[in-house]
Amino acid sequence: MTHPGELISAYMDGELTRPEIEQLLAHLDGCGRCAAELQQVQIVRSAVRSLPRLELPAGLILEADAGLVPLHRNKGLLVGAAAAVVALVIAIAAILTPSAATVSLEELNSRYGARASLDPAFGPAKVVVPNLAELLE
Amino acid sequence: MRRVIVFATALVLVPASTALGADLDELLDDSREASYSAEQVITCSTPDGVRDAVIELSQSRGELHVGAPVAPDVEVASGSGGWTLVREGSVVSSANVQGTGDVPEPRYSVDDGADTEYLGREATRYEMAGDGVVRAELVFDVEIGALLRVVTFNGDGSIYCERRFVTFDPEAPPPDDEDSADVIESAEGGAESDLPETLAGFERLDVYRDDEGFVFAYYSDGFFSFAVFQIPSVVIIDTGSPVTLADRIYTRSFSPGQVTYAWETRRGGMAMVGDLPPDMHEAVLAGLPAPEDPGLFRRLWRSLFG
Repeated sequence: MTHPGELISAYMDGELTRPEIEQLLAHLDGCGRCAAELQQVQIVRSAVRSLPRLELPAGLILEADAGLVPLHRNKGLLVGAAAAVVALVIAIAAILTPSAATVSLEELNSRYGARASLDPAFGPAKVVVPNLAELLE
Repeated sequence: MRRVIVFATALVLVPASTALGADLDELLDDSREASYSAEQVITCSTPDGVRDAVIELSQSRGELHVGAPVAPDVEVASGSGGWTLVREGSVVSSANVQGTGDVPEPRYSVDDGADTEYLGREATRYEMAGDGVVRAELVFDVEIGALLRVVTFNGDGSIYCERRFVTFDPEAPPPDDEDSADVIESAEGGAESDLPETLAGFERLDVYRDDEGFVFAYYSDGFFSFAVFQIPSVVIIDTGSPVTLADRIYTRSFSPGQVTYAWETRRGGMAMVGDLPPDMHEAVLAGLPAPEDPGLFRRLWRSLFG
């Protein structure tokens, strides 16, 4: 199974069938990347839900509907709301996009392997074998 | 006359006391000096299932070249502080380090050894034990000292990993002239770190730190070893799965012969890579900073600025 990014969002929205849920959960058990992605989606949703509710000034909607409120009177409110939306979009995009500065298993292996080759026990008992499964993918 | 008797007694006692067991370091030294080529099967029984591999080894002048029949275009050259992974003639990953030369206090000893035969050759089998627990069985070739088979055990006596040669040729092929490790800048050990100096019976031997804040420390107990990484960014392990140890959640991945744990803290990513048996993992991880959710804003900051 390839990494089912779309299924994760659908799962959070409660749009998956029972077999699809079981298939996804089985994949998550063995895939750290997708498990981490699910965790990040959950964090973002919790963050959005925890934002404070803003009470609109009494009668604003009625006045706006009636065309009685000039736009400049609520400029501050509109700018603030727009800034909040932009910040939220950036935050969600940044969190859901993998960080540019990540470290792979191979980078860790190379450093550990280099230092282990100075170890008194270095040899066929200790040689660090590359992750062949990953290389063959 | 009494002096003569005391002296004679001492002559008898000294060899007797040294004959209690062979010297593990000497055996390993001799093994490292041997030249040969071989095919090795690695089979590890891990809590996440069996991990196995067949690799081709050739050792000469303390340097090991590793290839794999399933990936003929992949080769690893390792030795003297270098590790280079080459694929289709191009270097994929490499590192080169210097050690401070510190060695850990001996934790393990080996018995006298028993004569045996392995792949039709005369060999000696030793049991390696520490704190009354047998941790490894080692079979060395009598003629050239090569380590032909090594089995490592969990604390309860069950097998963790077996590495055994299935073919062995004491005539090693000539070493490859291309030595890509020579051109890599070498990291010096001995940097400062707040990582513990001892950890569940392991001693911290070297610490390396690069300009980007990447820190790694190497720990050994004289046979098993691991490295701890402190990284400003996040460790991605595609093959990992979540595991809980002592109420702490990590991402863990086993490969033939080694394990990797990765987790996040408020200061960044952390990882532990090593060849220690699974029953030692929890005690080692308990001595390191615990996994923590870095929080929304730290996560955002790292995502935007690394």
